[in-house]
Amino acid sequence: MTHIDLKDVLARTVSSLYGDLVTRRTGEAVRSGIEAMLSDDDETAVIDFGTVRLMDMSCADEIVGKLLLAHGLGHYFALTGVHAAHEDALLPVLERHQLAVVAEDRTGRLKVLGYLPEPARRAFGFLADAGPAPPDAVAAHLALTPDVARDALQTLCDRRVVRESGGHYQAVRCA
Amino acid sequence: MTRVVEVPTQFDDRTFDQFARSYAADGGGRMLFDAHAAQWASPYGLVGLLTAGQAIAETGGERPLLTLPQDRDVVHYWARAGFVRHAEQYFELHGKAPRAAARGESDVLLEITPVRGADDVHDVVGHIQDRAAAILTQELGLEATATMGFGMALSEACQNIVEHAGTGGWVAVQTYTWRRRLGRRVVVIAVADAGVGFRRSLEATQAKRFGDRWSDAAALEAALIQGVSRFRDPGRGQGLAGIRRYLNRWTGKLAVRSGTARMTMVPPWDEDAPLVDQLPPFPGTQVLMIVPAHVENG
Repeated sequence: MTHIDLKDVLARTVSSLYGDLVTRRTGEAVRSGIEAMLSDDDETAVIDFGTVRLMDMSCADEIVGKLLLAHGLGHYFALTGVHAAHEDALLPVLERHQLAVVAEDRTGRLKVLGYLPEPARRAFGFLADAGPAPPDAVAAHLALTPDVARDALQTLCDRRVVRESGGHYQAVRCA
Repeated sequence: MTRVVEVPTQFDDRTFDQFARSYAADGGGRMLFDAHAAQWASPYGLVGLLTAGQAIAETGGERPLLTLPQDRDVVHYWARAGFVRHAEQYFELHGKAPRAAARGESDVLLEITPVRGADDVHDVVGHIQDRAAAILTQELGLEATATMGFGMALSEACQNIVEHAGTGGWVAVQTYTWRRRLGRRVVVIAVADAGVGFRRSLEATQAKRFGDRWSDAAALEAALIQGVSRFRDPGRGQGLAGIRRYLNRWTGKLAVRSGTARMTMVPPWDEDAPLVDQLPPFPGTQVLMIVPAHVENG
């Protein structure tokens, strides 16, 4: 697991004088800094928003939107330290690009942000709360048909917010 | 020969078109912006006046004259808001300009500040965030989450200058109490530039789609309602939508004037028209954002 502190990346790539993630130019620079930290394997990169005060939508698009578009199929990403105002900037970006990403808020609650069909969103909620589970357990708990549950889990895997291992599905986590 | 451009005595978004009409009127010669009788000007009026001077300078026009307000308190406020300092670049000033503006506690949250590049946007947002947080939560009674959205809206509005105007612009933020107009305290953000405006910015990608309907009003509709941008990048065009969402959540007002049209997101407390076109032409784009104090069931 690679931990990426956005404030550190901002200081390294743009300026230590800035505390906010604003402007496209800053977003591009920060994304490049993150890309340089990504490992080649399937490990999860945890991007820490905890030290970031403000992020605008242009930066959200450059940092999270374009990062997921470029690397979302080769890496798992999770966001931590996300507060409501960060979500306000992130959600339209994710919806616009039809992307989804795991986010942990400041209370430690895990959720998925972005574009997902409702059964997949409910399935993620179940896995986040209950831990790893097979498809039939997801179907039974959420009162879904087996086919719908399998489709929902496949969607979550395609979006790289859930991993499958030995027939069990597990939400991507920040720790 | 000198052509007089009247600066309204109460110079704000409601009298701006009167100012623009005088600015756009036919007639050659050196321009004299006459503000001697001005009694009050909002941030929107002041950045608009600077924009007029900037546009004349950037089109190679003769340096215009500006008579400052005669009223001592008014001209001191113009100085405190940062107007006089910047106006010296574009106007030959006449009248008594205060040498040094008094600083300290003030309703001016952000004095008139040039926006030319991304660094300016960082500085503006960084400078204002703490004071804006205090005012939004303590004076306007908004939830703490309003603070971050305020910074986001301010940042996106300033970035429109950097990304689209093709020249620099201005931003100013002020809080005051609208006793007659609303009976509440408000925070007002005014952003203006002397750039190409929405129609020219979007012309290459949108004009064909609109055909005969293509105009300043159509360009505003494309940008504000449909979220289109001159960039092909699908991630673009979200900034104004984000501003609209923020102001809608806090019952605020957004008005964007560009060229000969103005589009407004009208809150329940206001009676502005959603779209006005065939206005007197004015250079660039002027953005007005108003966040009012929270009232129960308001």
